[in-house]
Amino acid sequence: MTNWEKYVQAFVEALEVSAEEAPALVYGQSKAWDSVGHMTLVAALEDAFDIMMEMDDIIDLSSFAKGKEILGKYDVEI
Amino acid sequence: MLLQGKNALITGAARGIGAATVEAFAAEGANVWAFARTPDPALEARCQALSARYGGWVRPLYADLADEAAVSAAVRAAMGDKLPLDILVNNAGMMGEDKVFQLTPVEEMRRLFEANFFGPVVLTQLATRWMARKRKGAVVNVASVAGLDGSSRLDYSASKAAVISATRTMARELAGAGIRVNAVAPGYTDTDMTRGLGEKVEQEAVARALLRRKGKPEEIAAVIAFLASDRAAYVTAQVWRVDGGIL
Repeated sequence: MTNWEKYVQAFVEALEVSAEEAPALVYGQSKAWDSVGHMTLVAALEDAFDIMMEMDDIIDLSSFAKGKEILGKYDVEI
Repeated sequence: MLLQGKNALITGAARGIGAATVEAFAAEGANVWAFARTPDPALEARCQALSARYGGWVRPLYADLADEAAVSAAVRAAMGDKLPLDILVNNAGMMGEDKVFQLTPVEEMRRLFEANFFGPVVLTQLATRWMARKRKGAVVNVASVAGLDGSSRLDYSASKAAVISATRTMARELAGAGIRVNAVAPGYTDTDMTRGLGEKVEQEAVARALLRRKGKPEEIAAVIAFLASDRAAYVTAQVWRVDGGIL
């Protein structure tokens, strides 16, 4: 599985959305991505890429696009 | 067994209620990361002995809960074992000096809150993200009846009241991730911490309890084990007094 596929899959599993919906997601703008969904998503990303995110990055994770940028800090290229 | 195959992280594992909880969990079939502030040969020997006696593993894990980076590093180290985390027991804490609040420097109060409240909160943030990967878990916070009834020590009782309040908020926020959060509120328990309080305090505490005796660490540990187990699957946001009956 490529990093892109793992990244999309994390959104799909954590937020229960389709792979097609995932790239447009923004925190707080969909029912699926609320505060509980956010924590589940962070856990899914940490699990998928074997990382532990810093609190500032967890707070900054505000969209699918922003998440790709943040994962770059952990040497994960999406 | 109550906790067969569960993986648990227990803080304050070197002595008192924490040490008793590590043993109770191992005896009930759990694997345990025994979390302590500083490397301790006695703890390491006990971990080895418990592993040999009960068949699971008990591993020491060290970090000062007041040091966020150290806590994060310790959790990462435990995660390196590539195992899920099922249970967190936030037991570590301190009591501070016995003095009236007018004579307690606020810096002392902050240190106590760091140990009793902020440290456990940071650890819980990390641990529950780990648990959320499986969408299941249990957290048990060790509070105190002082957090419910008050006591002569403002900082200690206030920090434990904060733990109780945090328990309810954490339970509310984490229920959606399948994580239960409860607290135990021990009364006067026979530990190193309470032995330092003196005979008068002990006599008064024993007189208040209907059972007219101190609690044993293993009696607190038994309730923690129950709340952490699947037998308590429908229990969350609760504070269970284990105090010999203080009315």
